[in-house]
Amino acid sequence: MADHQQKSDKTVHRHEALQKKLALKEERKHHNVSFIMMILLTLVAFYAISSDKIGDSFAVMFILVLAVVQVFFQLYIWMHLSHKGHEFPIWGMASGILIAAITVASLMGMIWTS
Amino acid sequence: MHADERLTDANFPDHPEKATLEGKNKFLGFWLFLGGETVLFATLFGTYLGLRNMHMDGPAGEEIFKLPMVFVATMLLLTSSLTSVYSVLAMKQNRVKAMQGWFIVTLILGLAFLGLEIYEFVEYVHEGHTFTSSAFGSAFYTLVGFHGGHVLFGCLWIATLLARNWNRGLTLVNAPKYYLFALYWHFVDVVWVFIFTVVYLMGKVG
Repeated sequence: MADHQQKSDKTVHRHEALQKKLALKEERKHHNVSFIMMILLTLVAFYAISSDKIGDSFAVMFILVLAVVQVFFQLYIWMHLSHKGHEFPIWGMASGILIAAITVASLMGMIWTS
Repeated sequence: MHADERLTDANFPDHPEKATLEGKNKFLGFWLFLGGETVLFATLFGTYLGLRNMHMDGPAGEEIFKLPMVFVATMLLLTSSLTSVYSVLAMKQNRVKAMQGWFIVTLILGLAFLGLEIYEFVEYVHEGHTFTSSAFGSAFYTLVGFHGGHVLFGCLWIATLLARNWNRGLTLVNAPKYYLFALYWHFVDVVWVFIFTVVYLMGKVG
C-alpha cells in the first residue's frame, strides 16, 4: 500500500516536472526573442544617428522612444516584472521612474546656460 | 529542511529565491532599491543634459565620441545581460554547473566592457577632455563613470558570490543572492541603454 502510494506520487512528480520544463523552455524562447529585438532596436538607433537621411531633431525623439521600448523589454521579460507576485516591485519601479522623469525635466530647466 | 541545506531535484521549490521570508524580503527590498537607483541616475542624467554643451575650450562630444567603440560596448553589456538571465533559468532547474558557467561568462563580458571603458577614458584625456576641463567634462565623467563603477561593483559581487558558494550547490540562503545579482546586472544594462542614447548618440547630433 505504502509502496503503491509512493509510486503514484512519483508519477505525479514526474508530470509536474515535465510541465515545469516546458514552461522554462517557453521562457527561454521569450528571452532569446527579446535579445534579438534589443539588438535590432540598438542597430536602428545607431543607424538613425549615423545616417544623413534622417533629420537630427526627429532622430533624437526617435532614439529616445527606442530606448524606452528596450527598457520595457529588460524590465518585463528579463527582470520578470510580468510574472506573478511582482505588484510591489512594479509600484516601486513606477514611482522611481516618475520621480526620475520629474528630476530630469526640472534639472534641465533649472540649469541656465546662455 | 534547513535553509542552508543543499537543495535536491526532489525538494526543489518553484521559486527558490522567494521560498523563505528572508528571500521574500530581499526580493522586495532590492526592487525598491532599484527604484531609488533610478532616481539617483536621473539626477546625473539631468545635470548632464543641462551642461552637455558647456565644453569651453575643450573638445565637444561630437568631436571625440567614437560610435563603433560605443556600439561594441553596448553589445558586450547586452549579451552579458542575456547570459545572466540564462543563469537564472539554470538556477530554476537546479543546474548548478550551468548557472555557474553562465555567470562566469557574464563576469568576463562585464570585465571586457570595463576594459573598453577605461581605454576610452584614457583616449579622451589625451584629447584634452578631462574631469576638470569643463562643465561638460565633469558631468560626462560623473555620469558615465558612476555607471562604470556600478559595472565594477557587479563584477566584484558575482566573483565573490561564485567563489564563496562554489561547492555548496543551491540552498535557500544563496538562491536569493544569485537572483538579486541578476536583477542588478539587468538594471546596469538598463542604465547603459540611456547612456548610449542620451550621451553618445544625442552627443553626435548636438
